[in-house]
Amino acid sequence: DAPPQSKCCKKQQYSNCKTNSLQILSQTWRLKGRNEDPEVTQVPDPSKLTDECLKAALLKHGVKAGPIVASTRALYEKKLRKLLLHSNGDGELNGAEKAELYSDSEEEQEEEEEPDEESVSEEEQQKPKETKKIQSENNKAELKFHRGDFSYQQCFLLSSRLRAVPSRNGKPCSKRHSKNVLKSSERSQSSCSQILAGISKPSATGQHSGLRSAVPPASKTMVSNDCSSVSSKTFSITQMVQEMESRSAVSDCTVEELNSSSVGGHCSRSYRFDMNDLDKSRSTDQSLYYTPKDVHPSCGMKLPQEKVKNILKEALPETKTTTTRIYATPRRPIKGAAQRPIQYSLPHTLVSPVTLERREVERRLVSIHIQILFFVFVACIIFFIYVNVQDSTVLALLDSLSHCFDKEGGTLLLPETEDTQALYEQD
Amino acid sequence: MSTTSQKHRDFVGEPMGDKPVMALSGIGDTLGKKLEEQGFDKASVVLGQFLLLKKDTEMFTDWLKDATGANSRQAGSCAQCLKEWCDAFL
Repeated sequence: DAPPQSKCCKKQQYSNCKTNSLQILSQTWRLKGRNEDPEVTQVPDPSKLTDECLKAALLKHGVKAGPIVASTRALYEKKLRKLLLHSNGDGELNGAEKAELYSDSEEEQEEEEEPDEESVSEEEQQKPKETKKIQSENNKAELKFHRGDFSYQQCFLLSSRLRAVPSRNGKPCSKRHSKNVLKSSERSQSSCSQILAGISKPSATGQHSGLRSAVPPASKTMVSNDCSSVSSKTFSITQMVQEMESRSAVSDCTVEELNSSSVGGHCSRSYRFDMNDLDKSRSTDQSLYYTPKDVHPSCGMKLPQEKVKNILKEALPETKTTTTRIYATPRRPIKGAAQRPIQYSLPHTLVSPVTLERREVERRLVSIHIQILFFVFVACIIFFIYVNVQDSTVLALLDSLSHCFDKEGGTLLLPETEDTQALYEQD
Repeated sequence: MSTTSQKHRDFVGEPMGDKPVMALSGIGDTLGKKLEEQGFDKASVVLGQFLLLKKDTEMFTDWLKDATGANSRQAGSCAQCLKEWCDAFL
């Protein structure tokens, strides 16, 4: 099966690879249950390929492989397999390997009803068919959501719905807006989808209805904000989390309201906790606190902020008891992590450990002054004893002592003994 | 500062010379033994593998996981360690 490879050019090698693999092709394709044209596909079985063929195949998929040696071969085979799966699956992406696929909403790919997260985003471009698709996808998405899968599609679901709505109105700004939104949301979709996925996943088992209603507003707002920054997105998501916690069953009427209200305030629909706010927002047709700078002061910016604060206060103590295990870290008041007292990163006194040790030692030991005093005190006592005692035994002791010390440092002692003798004689 | 371990800092701080495989960040006794069984007895040989994979941390992580059964954290740590070493000395 291994053709001579040293002198072939790449194309020839590849064609050789292809011819060799045609036989393998039929087998593998049979396994996969497809009867497609062999020429359409790439080489399927990486392990049967030669090094050169493997390298060529990887290059075809855009992967510049290093030298394929014994230790690296297995790795590259695995990689090729993954790539083949991706290309064959037509968008069946499970992992977050290719971010461009998530964000690629420009391509108008097939309108298959395959329950793919990415195909949903790509279908957003097709406006006339959106509504039908949306509903079907919505159902699918809900099913998926209930199953607890990654709900990337949740992110895109009502975004598509939203885009359909403004297009119905025929407002130019909305159309422009939607396009801008698409582009701007490309980058953030992956992040938001991940965040949403993270949020939805743990709560999938729990509050289905709450999330369902919470997700649409969040996605809606994410879509509707063309200039939404990441912070505002996180803000919405934190709000979403709080919403989930505070409300177990926000009913479908919110969704419907959103749908109906989206007609008016598409561009700048903001995320509302209460129904009242929704009504207000619908009437005012302005975003309220997504990007406060953009907000018109007349629309009662303060009101929602207050409400936000209240809800934050309500929600934040609740966050610890939730099942979502998600903490709205950007909005949490700075209390220190996990209610620990605030710990500054640096100690107030910048001391080296050596000085610290020294201080410790000094603390333990008796201070020097006291030591000196004690020494002097003891010396005085002994002096007085010498002076006052008139016993001959003491003198004898002294003599003996002096004899002992004579060997070592007698000169010093001699004057001492003389002094004591003098004193003694005085007494 | 990133969360690098002491081992990481020790490795990245100087040329690896003839250090054993255990000196790599993320590689402990078990993984080190497995690598040695496969012939990667010195850190430099593992570096060779890393370079063969064109200093791609992802691929190296995959390889390490396949070869030794390391978990993501260990493999990632090793890859990062080697990458930084390369940035510093290569």
